[in-house]
Amino acid sequence: MKKYIYRIVIIVAALVLGVLMVAGLTFIGKESSGPAEDLFSKISSGISLIENKFILGKREKSRLIELKWFDKYRSDKSKLLLPDKILLGAYDDKTSETFQPIAELEDSLKTVFPLIHIYTAWGSNRNQRFPATELNSIHSIGSIPIVTWEPWLTDFDKEAMPGLPNPEVRDKDGLKAIARGVYDIYIDRWATEAKLFNKLIFLRFAHEMNDPYRYPWGPQNNMPEDFIAAWKHVVDRFRAVGADNVIWIWSPHPAYKMFDEYYPGEDYVDWIGVGTLNYGTVAPWSQWWTFDEIFAKHYELLAKYNKPIIISEFGSLAVGGDRAEWFNEALNDFPKRYPGVKSLVFFHCSSDATTTYQTLNWYFKDDPEILKIVKRTTSAWPNYSDIKIAQ
Amino acid sequence: MIKDSTKDLWTFRESKEPSRVELYFLGALVVAGVISIIRLANWWFREEHVGNLILYIILSVIFWYGMLRIILIWINYLGIRKPQKTAPPKDVRVAIFTTSSPGEPLSMFEKTLEACANISYPHKTYLLDDTQDSGFREVAEKYGAIWLNLVGLPGAKAGKINKAMTMTDEEFILVLDPDHIPFPNFLDEVLGFFDDKQVGYVQVSQAYYNQYRSFTARAAAEQTYTFYGPTQMSLHGYNSSVAIGANCTFRRKALESIGGHGIGLAEDLVTAIRIHAAGWRSVYHPVIVSRGLVPEDFDSFCKQQLKWARGVHEVLFAEVPRLFKKLSFWQKVSYITIGTYYLEGLTTLFYLIIPFLYLWFGVVPAKMYFIEFILQGMPVLIFSVWIYLFVQRWMCHPAIERGLHFRGMIQKFACWPIFLKGTLLSLVNKEIPYIPTAKQAVISKMSPFAKPVLMHIVIFIITLTYTIYERRYLLSDVELVSTSERAYGMIAFATIPFLLALGAIYAVIESIKLKSENPWEKI
Repeated sequence: MKKYIYRIVIIVAALVLGVLMVAGLTFIGKESSGPAEDLFSKISSGISLIENKFILGKREKSRLIELKWFDKYRSDKSKLLLPDKILLGAYDDKTSETFQPIAELEDSLKTVFPLIHIYTAWGSNRNQRFPATELNSIHSIGSIPIVTWEPWLTDFDKEAMPGLPNPEVRDKDGLKAIARGVYDIYIDRWATEAKLFNKLIFLRFAHEMNDPYRYPWGPQNNMPEDFIAAWKHVVDRFRAVGADNVIWIWSPHPAYKMFDEYYPGEDYVDWIGVGTLNYGTVAPWSQWWTFDEIFAKHYELLAKYNKPIIISEFGSLAVGGDRAEWFNEALNDFPKRYPGVKSLVFFHCSSDATTTYQTLNWYFKDDPEILKIVKRTTSAWPNYSDIKIAQ
Repeated sequence: MIKDSTKDLWTFRESKEPSRVELYFLGALVVAGVISIIRLANWWFREEHVGNLILYIILSVIFWYGMLRIILIWINYLGIRKPQKTAPPKDVRVAIFTTSSPGEPLSMFEKTLEACANISYPHKTYLLDDTQDSGFREVAEKYGAIWLNLVGLPGAKAGKINKAMTMTDEEFILVLDPDHIPFPNFLDEVLGFFDDKQVGYVQVSQAYYNQYRSFTARAAAEQTYTFYGPTQMSLHGYNSSVAIGANCTFRRKALESIGGHGIGLAEDLVTAIRIHAAGWRSVYHPVIVSRGLVPEDFDSFCKQQLKWARGVHEVLFAEVPRLFKKLSFWQKVSYITIGTYYLEGLTTLFYLIIPFLYLWFGVVPAKMYFIEFILQGMPVLIFSVWIYLFVQRWMCHPAIERGLHFRGMIQKFACWPIFLKGTLLSLVNKEIPYIPTAKQAVISKMSPFAKPVLMHIVIFIITLTYTIYERRYLLSDVELVSTSERAYGMIAFATIPFLLALGAIYAVIESIKLKSENPWEKI
């Protein structure tokens, strides 16, 4: 009997010590993940630097050379706060491995985009951290990144962020929590990495905050003043770490009228963003709207903020109307009709499952008619000769 | 330094008895290791990690099969025991069998037979000879051994042993390889265990005296240190320790109960599993009471490995299923684990291919962040190494056997094509001829076994060159910046086996330059 108890005691004690050792190691791991990761990212950025210098820098034809005209904007934030021409850009959903799809769209339009748009969400997963690899790639090929930064709150691990409520109750008053500083560990880390990145970034934070049917940071969970407080808090955190290379895009949904209630103030906003997607007749709630029907009636209101405007999601589905005509109407004489708009970003998404139960295809790369119209209309814009591929 | 340790080799050594505190701490380390592996598993199996689905499944099976083996090895260690030695019984009759085959150097037998004559416990030495060379008979008689002329028997060594058994009647038979020089106290160490009438055989450690001759010899010896210390002691704890051709003392009745010594490329393992299945107990006694030779050149080492790889699979396919029901649970686990050891050839091949698949075709099995894998895998690595080093306290001669055994690692890596060949030969049930392990360095041109390793090096260099060329001249700038991290990650992943392959080539070249010597003449 005594031997039996002795054995049990030994087994339990071994279990306890084993668990303690792993816990200790995990703790050290968490603490030291900083230096280990730093080393790793230093190696990888060192390699990029070498490749940029000895491979990209030696090429006679490259995207970088074609975007030479854009260099003065890339190195001077003030030029981007009041640009003298329309900057084109694109988002493509197939870019998780490489930005090649963007290059293919550019080839078919015979242009090179100064802006490349990506989406990233908040959370504790690795792909929810500051997207350094993608942003470095975008800069290495001569463009400036636009990052749509979505404050999803349910992906945070509790142990990574002390004081966090359970995921199912996080969305309610989530923006209040952001303003209160609950997510500061994450925000500060992101901001610090953005500062270290040291090149310009357009940041489109918590877009369509006034749409009650889309995202959890909408009015169904938050009051307008909560949004403003959260926005100011986030911008202040960035300013506190010195991340002055961030250009803030405030991007309401124009169809929900009271967006002015959500405006954080001119000291906190650099650009005004608008999505102008035409869903055609794919859903019961949608119908075929021309670009002007979507945008024109709000343009005056948006222009009043006296900030450059970016059409951050520009595109049309093919169901329920003439898509080529939609592009034609939208882009013809665009600068004259909307002089306050200084950027237009194609929403080139092949399988968009965010709004409806079916996946939607916004691709137009393989539609020669649309390509022709985009090429014809944009090349008639004043100042466009600079933007075209260097002859 | 080397001289001192060489002198050191000829004294009796034994493993330490595991203490309670040590066992407790080992248990804690194993618990910690298992938790780390569970933690890694929890991270590994995620949908977002799936690249190419089929490759991901293959990779996962191979990786987790490897992890399972590690866990089994750890659990095995928890059974580590040192058997209690008792004084040898008086007046039991013991035979020592040692065999000679054509081509084996006579001068070696002078040493071995002289040493046999010096064994203090009363015994009879038999030389089982088929050289048809009268010199062997003379040497045997010079040292009082009985010369048995056993020409033309099938089954090489085992055939001769079985024939000799019919010509002798001693109760116990020590099978001694002719390159092993026994110490005088050999029989005093082992005979006491047979007081237990259930004990079928007593195996002792195999140690070597020529490991300082070359990289290959050191590597080969390094690969055995842990096995003849903690591993076999632990197997003993589960009554699963195996007989290893040489230095094994059998109870005649045990051998007779299974119809004589097993025959085949892994005759020792066949014999062990049959004796276990017949219900006998086995003893592993961790003492050094003899020292022998380990292959000194790459070619001989590889031949020995091929022989084992083919033979061990034979045990897995022929013996394990037949005897399965008669084995205890741990005997089943241990024979299956030993029987599948050489599958490592196949798994290594797959690991080698992964980076090339990406660099040539852009296919990835798993989309994992390299740094995350390192952070998740690091605890597993730390505890594996810690356990590996911790159990080294139970080696037979820790002073010279301890270490990380990097040579052993390099040489094991270099053998992956041989292991693979062994597996494939077994699958199609094709035989390889019986090759006796060389006793002298075989001086020749480059070993043909080095070819796959050289090919691997060439493929790596071509791939690296092409990748750099592709990145410099062919890839668009957009592709270039987007693929940089993964491409160089894969190159780094491919560089590790490349370095191991270079180490192996060093061993091959050294083998070519190795001067033939008779190591036994220096003793």
